[in-house]
Order: sequence, then C-alpha cells, then structure tokens
Amino acid sequence: MALLSFAHDLQSIGFLTDIRESAVVYPIIMTTHLCTIAAFGGMILMSDLRLLGWAMQSRPVSDVVGGLRKWKWLGFCIMIAAGLLLGTSEAEKYSGNPYFWIKMTILALILIHAAVFHGSVYNAAADKKFDGPGGVPQRARVAAALSLILWMGMVTAGRWIGYYEPKNGPRAEVTPAQHYVIAQH
Amino acid sequence: MIAFDVQSYPLNNNEWSFPVCECVHIIGFAFSIGTVALVDLRLLGWGLQNQTSSQLLKDTAPWTLWGLLVMLISGPLIFFSDPRMYLYNQSFRFKITALALAILFNYTIHRKAAMSDASGAWGKLVGGVSMVLWLSVVAGGLFIAFV
Repeated sequence: MALLSFAHDLQSIGFLTDIRESAVVYPIIMTTHLCTIAAFGGMILMSDLRLLGWAMQSRPVSDVVGGLRKWKWLGFCIMIAAGLLLGTSEAEKYSGNPYFWIKMTILALILIHAAVFHGSVYNAAADKKFDGPGGVPQRARVAAALSLILWMGMVTAGRWIGYYEPKNGPRAEVTPAQHYVIAQH
Repeated sequence: MIAFDVQSYPLNNNEWSFPVCECVHIIGFAFSIGTVALVDLRLLGWGLQNQTSSQLLKDTAPWTLWGLLVMLISGPLIFFSDPRMYLYNQSFRFKITALALAILFNYTIHRKAAMSDASGAWGKLVGGVSMVLWLSVVAGGLFIAFV
C-alpha cells in the first residue's frame, strides 16, 4: 500500500488539507478546471476540425492552427494547474479510483500525441505548409482525429471519477435523483 | 400540475445515462461557449489577429449553434431527473438567469459588435461581458452540486 500512504502524505501537506476541507475553495478550483473547457476547449476543437477540413474552411490552415497554438498552451497550463490542486488535495480518494487512472493514462497519451505530432503537424501547419494546393496530409488528419478522440475521452473519464463507488466506502457523489430518493425515505 | 414520477424517469433507472448526459452537456458547451470565446478574445484584441471579428463570427456561428442545441437538449434531460431539487437550487436559478442573459446578449449586442468589427473600448467591453456571462453559466452549473 505504498501508493496509498504516499497519497495520504501528499494530501496532508498544509495548504492541500486546507483546500480539501474548504467548502468554497475546492469547488472554485473545480470551476476553474471546468471553465478552461469553455474558454479554451473551442480552440482544440476548431484547430483539429480545421485540419480535418470540417470547420473554418474559408480561412487558411495556418491562420487557425497557428493563431490558436499559444492560447491552447495557456489553457492547458491553467487546466493542469487547477487539476493538480484538485488531484493532490484528494490524493487518497483518487488513488483508489480507476477512472482517475484512466484519465491520467489519457493525459499521458495526450502528451505523447503532442510530442509525436508537434513538429510534423502543428508546427508545419503554422508554417503555412498545409496552405498550398497539396492541402492537409493524411498524417495531420490522423493527428487531428486522435486529438479529438483523446480530449473527449478526457472529459468523459473526468466526469466518471465523481461517480465511482468504492467497495468498502460511501459513494463519492450521488446523482440529484438518487439524492432525492434518499431524502424521501 | 402534471404528474411526473421522478423514479420512473429513464435517467434514474440505470447507472450510466445521467453521467453520459453530463459528458454530452460538457462537450456541447466546449463547442458553443468555446467558439463564442474565440470571438470574445478577438473583440478583446488578444486572439487570432489575422481574422476580423466578423469573419471569425461567420466561421464559428454554426458550431456555436450546434453546441447550444446539444446543451439545450442534454440540459433539460438532466433537469428532469429531479426537477424539484433543481427549481429550488439557488445555483441553478443563477445559472438559468445567466444562460438567458448570455443567449440574449450573444444574438443581439455581441453579434452586432462582432459584425461591425468593433475594436477599442467598445469591443473590449462586449468581449469581456460575453466571457463573464458564459463562464457564469458554467460556474453556476458546477455549484448546483455544492450549495
């Protein structure tokens, strides 16, 4: 149980305990985490859909993909920062949650995706390499499709973390209707 | 009042359909709010300088609309899993108010400002107000579970 004891030590760090025990700070950080999807998610969607030729076709690929890159990174950093605070302040609970680990696996795949396609797809797109008559190469379309699948998987796994029910413990979260049924009895 | 049996509602009779609706709802707002945010950033003078606000609005408007549609279908499906709880939830009321204002603002003032490529203080004000309104909707939605 090395993992569990590490998780316990981690979440016992002073300010992480404060976050966990605060009725306001934890949801505010969670709101920040979710708001990055609203503020920056559209950038991932539009760059990948532009590469696939489904969105913003009236604009050159370089304008869309190149123009959004630094913004996507900013969004990613905010998302990771908020996510780190959420994950570490509840480390003990999350370390036993399979959906948390699925999400971390998807995150690792997203980083691998970035490493693999960074130069040959996203740099090339920003450098106007796909603006010419040759269009967007197959490799870039594959990268875009993979990115869309990974990010939707990320959202889905993230939401499922809240509904995992440990075998010997209370539910992490109940749906409003279950709450309603419980309240009636 | 129309009789509505919350316990026989399909979303309440299996483990997965409620979270699935939530995921669809989140992906819906990534499309709708995410594309509005692109126009907002342009109005604020920060993002995508190669495109004018009006070009950006025309390019993203269909995706905004599709995203809104997905939100406005998945949202009520979630709502009817427990209408009474939602109706009396302060955060839900805040969210719905913000949503109504955001949609109204988006298709009136925001649209007008983007189509006329508003810049300077007016552009920044409209972009900022739009961003605050839409993020309030998301924040209000999340806080339903915490109030």
